[in-house]
Amino acid sequence: MTENVQASSSSRVSSPSTSARTARFGGRGLNIAIVVAAVLTILGLVLWGIQLTGGLVQTGMRNFDSWGLYITCFMFLVGLSAGGLIISSIPRAFGMKGFGGISKVAVWTSICCTVLAIGFVVVDLGQPLRLWELFAYSNLGSPLMWDIIVLFVYLILSIVYLWAQVRHEAGKVSATALRVVSFIALVCAVLVHSVTAWIFSLQQAHDMWHTALMAPWFVSSALVCGTALVLIVVVALRAAGYLAVDQANVVKMAKLLGAFVCVDLYFFACDLLTEGFPGGEGANVVAMLTSGPLAPFFWVEVIGCIIAAAICFVPSLRKNAALVIAGILAIVGIFCKRAQLLVGGFQIPNIDYPAVMTQYSATNWSDGMAGAYAGLVYWPTPLEFGIALGVTGLGALILLLGLKFLPLQPTERTE
Amino acid sequence: MHYGMAIDLKHCIGCQTCAFACKVANNLPNDVWWNRVFTDGGPVIDTTSEDGRKEYFPMACQHCENPACVKVCPVGATYRDLETGVVRQDYDKCIGCRMCMAACPYTGVRSFNWEEPQYHMDFATGDSDAAPHQKHVVEKCTFCYQRTSQGKDPACMVLCPGRARFWGDLDDPDSEVSQLISKREYKQLLPEQGTRPSVYYLL
Repeated sequence: MTENVQASSSSRVSSPSTSARTARFGGRGLNIAIVVAAVLTILGLVLWGIQLTGGLVQTGMRNFDSWGLYITCFMFLVGLSAGGLIISSIPRAFGMKGFGGISKVAVWTSICCTVLAIGFVVVDLGQPLRLWELFAYSNLGSPLMWDIIVLFVYLILSIVYLWAQVRHEAGKVSATALRVVSFIALVCAVLVHSVTAWIFSLQQAHDMWHTALMAPWFVSSALVCGTALVLIVVVALRAAGYLAVDQANVVKMAKLLGAFVCVDLYFFACDLLTEGFPGGEGANVVAMLTSGPLAPFFWVEVIGCIIAAAICFVPSLRKNAALVIAGILAIVGIFCKRAQLLVGGFQIPNIDYPAVMTQYSATNWSDGMAGAYAGLVYWPTPLEFGIALGVTGLGALILLLGLKFLPLQPTERTE
Repeated sequence: MHYGMAIDLKHCIGCQTCAFACKVANNLPNDVWWNRVFTDGGPVIDTTSEDGRKEYFPMACQHCENPACVKVCPVGATYRDLETGVVRQDYDKCIGCRMCMAACPYTGVRSFNWEEPQYHMDFATGDSDAAPHQKHVVEKCTFCYQRTSQGKDPACMVLCPGRARFWGDLDDPDSEVSQLISKREYKQLLPEQGTRPSVYYLL
């Protein structure tokens, strides 16, 4: 592995301190990580095969809660993918001073997260062999179709943007062209979150989902977890000697994370107040979140995000370890938000009169409607956790292979 | 033409015969019910509320004029038949994304085949031209399309012992169903959702 990094770093002009540090990065640890990720990916594929042959009945999803962990992860990863791209493209698109040499690594994490998001949709499908129909029989009125289109455009744009940066550093792409690409990528990033939100918020059937706030809220959540991910990756890569980043840039990013967390919590507060105040159906949603079956997710999110913001805003707390903790708390918090949103949508049925229930109605079907909704209506099975781990392994594999083989380190020409 | 159904709640005795008629006519797999009879009363089927009230209402797909499911299907596997107004489902097209199940406000009328369909009997029951069931696709009440397209009535109303179900063309003011709706008081399920169901419950 060291040959590759040395070869790539010697092929371009690097500052002496960077090349001295990068020579130490990788080696055995990276190779082992790549093997672990590959094994997880293969494990995931095997489990996916089991899911397809034995049926989705092996998951926790049923007729009353038709989506689960996979779609939660899809939402979450679409959000996670934004941050990298937005962090990297905003400064360039608006001609501001950036965050130092992290731009390419940030975009690479974005690309990996987008691939993962698509992966999670695929494992959720009952008939993955019919995926081609999406392009043959596209119903352009379906928010899911919009999302598939925007997601693919987003993936391609991210790759183009990364390529443009590398070429720009080699002096082949002009700064203006790069700025144009970064602006288009930024617009697409905002769009991809809005459209993912619309998959949920355009459905009138679920009170919790049907709110105009959903799209901006998805953008803010994406900014929170995306910034947090980039912060963690940058602090970790700096510690591992992959790249050198000024503390000032890390602090700048931490402040940004704090601000995004506050905006996200503010949106949540607005949404809860609007739903709860009239005291109708919406009050049930608020009760379910604050004291009902979803309360653990709600409080982990709220308290975790407050602690994360505190770490980001108090100068004496902005140490490496604390910043990583803040990043993790923010990411976990946003994941909890996604879980609340998904399960919460199914947790309150529109028609809750007792009727015939079978094993396909809900997982806790044997105690009737009351039993099905007594606790969480949905909880993933070990198979779902295994497949989710496998898909995550695929993302980690792509991420690590990129770090190993692609020229993602900052060079002298990096802005 | 716009097929619709009226169900006279005064005549429904909660016997579940329509649910069985549907299951047999469409050869539904084990544990799959397209048509269910709800008890509006106590917390368990066939029990009364604390003040002694008990009513039944059967529920299947409402065949909405403004169906939430049709809008969200990414491949058009669920669609509103323009000739009859029936919301249909193409099993061969369905990719199993379950977006329609999330979009439908009528909890549980859409049913997914979570595994290879299994049957108690080793021969198919009901109508020979009912579409065969497939694993990992969404299905639901079709207003017995295989029957109604041949001029027959849906299976649920044929077998109803209380004669509580009526069926016909809502566009034709002289049809039995139109006449009943114009004369009797009725309700529809979840009108606030704006789906404009084609099923009317006569009070």
